[in-house]
Amino acid sequence: MAEVVFSQVKKAFGTFTAVHGLDLHIKEGEFVSLLGPSGCGKTTTLRMLAGLEFPTSGDIQIGDRVVNDIPPGQRDIAMVFQSYALYPHMSVADNIAYPLKKRGVGRADRDIAVAKTAELLQLTELLKRKPRQLSGGQQQRVALGRALVRDPKVFLLDEPLSNLDAKLRGYMRVELVELHRRLGRTMVYVTHDQLEAMTMSDRIAVMEGGVLQQFAPPAEVYAAPANRFVASFIGTPGMTLMDGELSKQGGTWRFDAPGISMDVGALNDRAEPGGACLGVRPEHVSIGQGSINGTIQVVEKTGHENIVIIGLEGGQRLTGRVPAPQSWSIGENVQLSLDAEQAHIFGPGPHGPRLNLPSNIATPDLKSAAN
Amino acid sequence: MAHLRKILFNLMAWSIVLAVAFPLFWMLVTSVKPQFELFRRPPTILPETWTFEHYWTLLADTNFLVYFRNSVILSSATTLLVVAVATLGAYSLVRFKYRGRESLAFLVLFTYLLPSVVLIIPLYLLLVQLGVSNTIFSLVIAYTTFALPYALWLLRSFMAGIPEDLESAALCDGATRMGAFRDIILPQLLPGIISTALFTFILSWNEYLYALVLVNSDSSRPLTTGVMNMLISSFNIEWSLLMAASVMMSVPLIIVFAFLQSYLTRGFGAGGVKG
Ligand SMILES: Nc1ncnc2c1ncn2[C@@H]1O[C@H](COP(=O)(O)OP(=O)(O)OP(=O)(O)O)[C@@H](O)[C@H]1O
Ligand SMILES: [Mg+2]
Repeated sequence: MAEVVFSQVKKAFGTFTAVHGLDLHIKEGEFVSLLGPSGCGKTTTLRMLAGLEFPTSGDIQIGDRVVNDIPPGQRDIAMVFQSYALYPHMSVADNIAYPLKKRGVGRADRDIAVAKTAELLQLTELLKRKPRQLSGGQQQRVALGRALVRDPKVFLLDEPLSNLDAKLRGYMRVELVELHRRLGRTMVYVTHDQLEAMTMSDRIAVMEGGVLQQFAPPAEVYAAPANRFVASFIGTPGMTLMDGELSKQGGTWRFDAPGISMDVGALNDRAEPGGACLGVRPEHVSIGQGSINGTIQVVEKTGHENIVIIGLEGGQRLTGRVPAPQSWSIGENVQLSLDAEQAHIFGPGPHGPRLNLPSNIATPDLKSAAN
Repeated sequence: MAHLRKILFNLMAWSIVLAVAFPLFWMLVTSVKPQFELFRRPPTILPETWTFEHYWTLLADTNFLVYFRNSVILSSATTLLVVAVATLGAYSLVRFKYRGRESLAFLVLFTYLLPSVVLIIPLYLLLVQLGVSNTIFSLVIAYTTFALPYALWLLRSFMAGIPEDLESAALCDGATRMGAFRDIILPQLLPGIISTALFTFILSWNEYLYALVLVNSDSSRPLTTGVMNMLISSFNIEWSLLMAASVMMSVPLIIVFAFLQSYLTRGFGAGGVKG
């Protein structure tokens, strides 16, 4: 068991910098997700932690040991690869036993450990098969088994569920969380699927363009995104983001955009009059009455709720989420209001920081709700 | 119409097979005909009298066995050397990033742009200076120079087909780089290694020109030049002996081929796609 610390870690491939000055302090026993769009440097970060890639500068620490120059095999980590990377010429049993064999565990002990792991992952029937004779889900469990058979300090998982179908993925998600709870080991989990990150993690590190955007528990990432990028990346359907003007009137701030203008209360001291961005989650839009006029453009029925896209007078579009009984027909004119308490204000630019005071963060416990 | 085309295709295919196979057949029957039957007109297709006297003569009264042993040593040594160097070289070209990696791979192919006749004299002088001329070892070096580039490219395409993650996984599982290479890469590469080895072996077994120029002592001659030297003179060609020798030269290749041909075709396929 060990904490993992990245200090000012940078990784450049030639002239291209894949990871910029990353600072990350992962606590002992924590389940942390690295979340971000494709190419944001998640795998690179994980490979640096594994020792498969060396940082251009900065330090990586596992436990109380700086591991910069330590080869992967001596870092006491176990990694599950996105491609599973099962050894094709070895049987399932040999695959799982390989890490033990390489660490000098004797044959008898290996057999016991393999049998135990296989039972845990329901692989006992498959031990004699070769990887190519397994389904995707079975291969995934073997890859997991190869990591679990030892008791490493840190588990590294690179999108282990991305090749599975939706149902199996949901099942494995729960299994992994359960496993983490049982083992209590530090786990670093790479994913570009926000649902996985939100439901499984203790904390999420949101990355973009090789830069860490926010490192916080799922609920906080959702309720108080650190900047405009995080706000737009987290949540389906996404938060509506509207560019407008911020102005100060006495102690409170006011936001104006074509078709919308609202008081947003007190902001932090990074707020400045001028360009800004308003962010509203779909569930904070109420349709029926209010000071904002719009036209229903799209209604998506998902069963238990309806997602509506509303065109505002200024040409802006707004996404709202309403319980299923409420429905509108396309083209209908409606009045609506936004929950000012829950609205977000971001500074200008694609990474404009959040300007709201930290006080209005509601933090439901998403992780336990998902289990 | 379609029927006719099929028949025509079959006819063509079989005539090609026949054209290729007939000399082999003729070699075989000539080697078991007695001397007097060889030049009879009209020729006999199947020998009237079967005899193995030519084989006995070759084995008992000539240097054939020495040449044969030389060829076996020469081809095996070349194959071992080429496969070992090419495997490591291919690994390096595929796995490690360094300046000039691609140009290096292409530069190696340069040997094939020059006719061997041009390379032979410098090579000969080099071997003389090294003090190894006129030995089997000198031929091993010479053969390596022309077999290695192709072997390297062939193995490179095989190596490129092995996912890097496999090796990374082995490293994470506690293997050293050498350990990962031995446990994971080598087994994956086996078909490639076998087909490369086969290719190199055949090439060295049949090589004539280098052997002719670089070696002229009877104790180090391989089969190709040895048999020629022994049975063909300006005055006479010992046809029956020559054919018997040819049969015995071909047998090892045919055996090896029969067992490993699926690897060989796979190897040429891989080379064709990527090489
Ligand atoms: N070996 C390499 N050489 C050059 N560039 C690389 C190398 N590995 C990664 N990169 C670049 O670094 C960036 C980050 O890559 P990385 O694999 O970490 O992305 P990722 O976040 O894992 O994306 P994905 O979700 O698609 O797996 C990418 O732009 C990629 O092109
Ligand atoms: Mg990745």
